[in-house]
Amino acid sequence: MIHDAWYGDDDGSAGRFVPLYVLVNGRSSPRNARLDLATQVIALNGETQGLEAEYQAIVRRCRTWISVAEIAAHLHYPLTPTKLLVDVLLEQGFLAVGSPAEATVADLGMLEAILVRLQEL
Amino acid sequence: MKSVKVVVAGGFGTGKTTLVGAVSEISPLTTEEVLTQASVGVDDLAGVKDKTTTTVAVDFGRITVNNDIVLYLFGTPGQDRFWFMWDELAQGAIGAIVLVDTRRLEASFAAIDYFERRGIPFVAAINMFFGERLYTDEEIRAALKLSPDAPLVWCDARDRGSSKQALISLIRYAMAQLPAQAPSHG
Repeated sequence: MIHDAWYGDDDGSAGRFVPLYVLVNGRSSPRNARLDLATQVIALNGETQGLEAEYQAIVRRCRTWISVAEIAAHLHYPLTPTKLLVDVLLEQGFLAVGSPAEATVADLGMLEAILVRLQEL
Repeated sequence: MKSVKVVVAGGFGTGKTTLVGAVSEISPLTTEEVLTQASVGVDDLAGVKDKTTTTVAVDFGRITVNNDIVLYLFGTPGQDRFWFMWDELAQGAIGAIVLVDTRRLEASFAAIDYFERRGIPFVAAINMFFGERLYTDEEIRAALKLSPDAPLVWCDARDRGSSKQALISLIRYAMAQLPAQAPSHG
């Protein structure tokens, strides 16, 4: 279950009582405009030991491409703080980002690929 | 790596999470948005005045299309009042499946209106879980005020094959809409 902005009883961060908003220095919207709840991110090589536990937990989740929404769901963080934490990690080079979901770039080829995949389901 | 979104909408209890679960390659996940006191006043929080925060849950699933594309299916929150969440889900979406319960057509009016106004392609999917085909397509189209070209499909949200067909209708419809779209460059 999600608690709320006060987060502190997940494994790995037991006993911590730091609101997620403090960890992002009060940032309230992502600076990376490409960041959407479906945007995929992946961990880059980098030493994460100096990072706060919440940041480390996210990087560990990103060994393969994963969306912001999935990170939030797996770590039981609310969506917006997750997006902001990911935003900070992108800015600091710990994560790389894929393309955002954008219907305007949806081309026929992509929709055809989706159709083929759905027919296999 | 590219993400593609499909929104699964409809009124409360129309089978959104069931449909997401039927086609998703993972068990549906839930992500939550916390609405704080600061949002009160812009959102209708009647009945929750004693709470300083309220939680909006979004269930979603995924279908890996190929090495480059992942399709996410996002169910809209059960309560229509959380429009800010709809905007986030619909932003950049290929389209939407609007689930309809024929016993409560009105539960899906808000969703249909939402996607129509924004020009987001959608299919109306009548969830047969709720009963027999008591009405004809024409009767339902008229009741929902669907435009003639908007697809109407019958499905059983519990069934993968049936839910998959609803999704396929949506993708085909989105493909048909493509030439009419404004060019993305210039």
